[in-house]
Amino acid sequence: MVRQAHPGPAVPPYATIEQKLADAEAYRREAGITWPVLADDLDGTVHQTYGGLTDPAYLIDADGRVAYYNMWAYSPVLHQAIEALLAQGGRGVVLGEGIDRTPHLLPAMADGWPGIRRGLSQSYVDMETSLPGSATALWLTHQLRPLLAPVALRATPLPPAVQAGILLGVSLLVGAQIARLQHARATGDASPGPRRPGHRVDRWQAG
Amino acid sequence: MTTTAMTTAASGIPVRPATRANWESPAEYNYEHFRTKHLLLDARRTVETSGVLPGDPAPDFTLPRSAGGGNLRLSDLRGKPVVLHFGSFT
Repeated sequence: MVRQAHPGPAVPPYATIEQKLADAEAYRREAGITWPVLADDLDGTVHQTYGGLTDPAYLIDADGRVAYYNMWAYSPVLHQAIEALLAQGGRGVVLGEGIDRTPHLLPAMADGWPGIRRGLSQSYVDMETSLPGSATALWLTHQLRPLLAPVALRATPLPPAVQAGILLGVSLLVGAQIARLQHARATGDASPGPRRPGHRVDRWQAG
Repeated sequence: MTTTAMTTAASGIPVRPATRANWESPAEYNYEHFRTKHLLLDARRTVETSGVLPGDPAPDFTLPRSAGGGNLRLSDLRGKPVVLHFGSFT
C-alpha cells in the first residue's frame, strides 16, 4: 500500500502509519485479497526504491532476484511470467529481457473509478485538471465494466484464437476506413463518406 | 536528499540512478493534489526504466501487515517465487 494517489476530503494524504494500515485492511477485505497486504512507510521508501510507478508488479525468483518487472501491472502478463518462472525451476530472468514497459490502461479503465470515488469531489476535479476528460472517461469506462472485464480484468492471456480474431477485426476496420478515404480522395470528395441530400455542407453551398 | 537515503531501506543496495533522479521528498511524495506533473513523472519513470531491473537482487524490506498481522520481511520468503505488487487506496 503506497500513498493516496488521488487524495480528497475523506482520504487525505497519510499522516500516520495507522491510517495507511487501516486503508490497507479495508482494501484487502473489499477486494477479497487472500495474500498479505503491507503498508509502506510514510516516505514511500520501498515504493520509491522499486521505481515509484503507479501500479507496478515484480516477480521475484527463489533466490530473491527480480525475474520479471511488469511496470504497469497486468495480470495476463504476470501470469505468463509466473508460468515461465515455474517452468525453469523458479530461478532466473523470464520472458526475454524480463521487463514489460507497456502502459496497460485497461485495468484502470475497468477498475479505476472506485479509487476516484473515495475522494470525491476533489479527486475528480484534480484529475480532470491534470488531464481534461480523464476522470469522466474513468466514470464512463466503469459503466462499461461488464463489457471490458473479459479482457481488462482477466487473469490469463486471451486464447490465441481470440487474439487472432481481435487482430483480424481491427485490421478489417482499419482497412475499410483506409479504403473509404482513398475512394473519397479518388472521387475528389474532401469529406470522407457519402454525401446525402440535405447535408449541412450542401445547404451552405446552396445558400 | 542525503546520501544515506540513496541506499535501500534495509539491504544497502544502491538506488538506481534513474530512480534517484525521480526521488520525491516526503512532502512531494504525500501530495495534497493530483496534478499533471504526476502523470508526466509516471511517463518519465516508465521511459527511464525507474526501479529495480530484472536479474538484480530485490531490495529487502520489513513492513507491517494490515490487520495487525505483524511484520513481514521479504527475504524470509526466499526459496519460492514471490509476487510484489504496489497499489493505492485512491
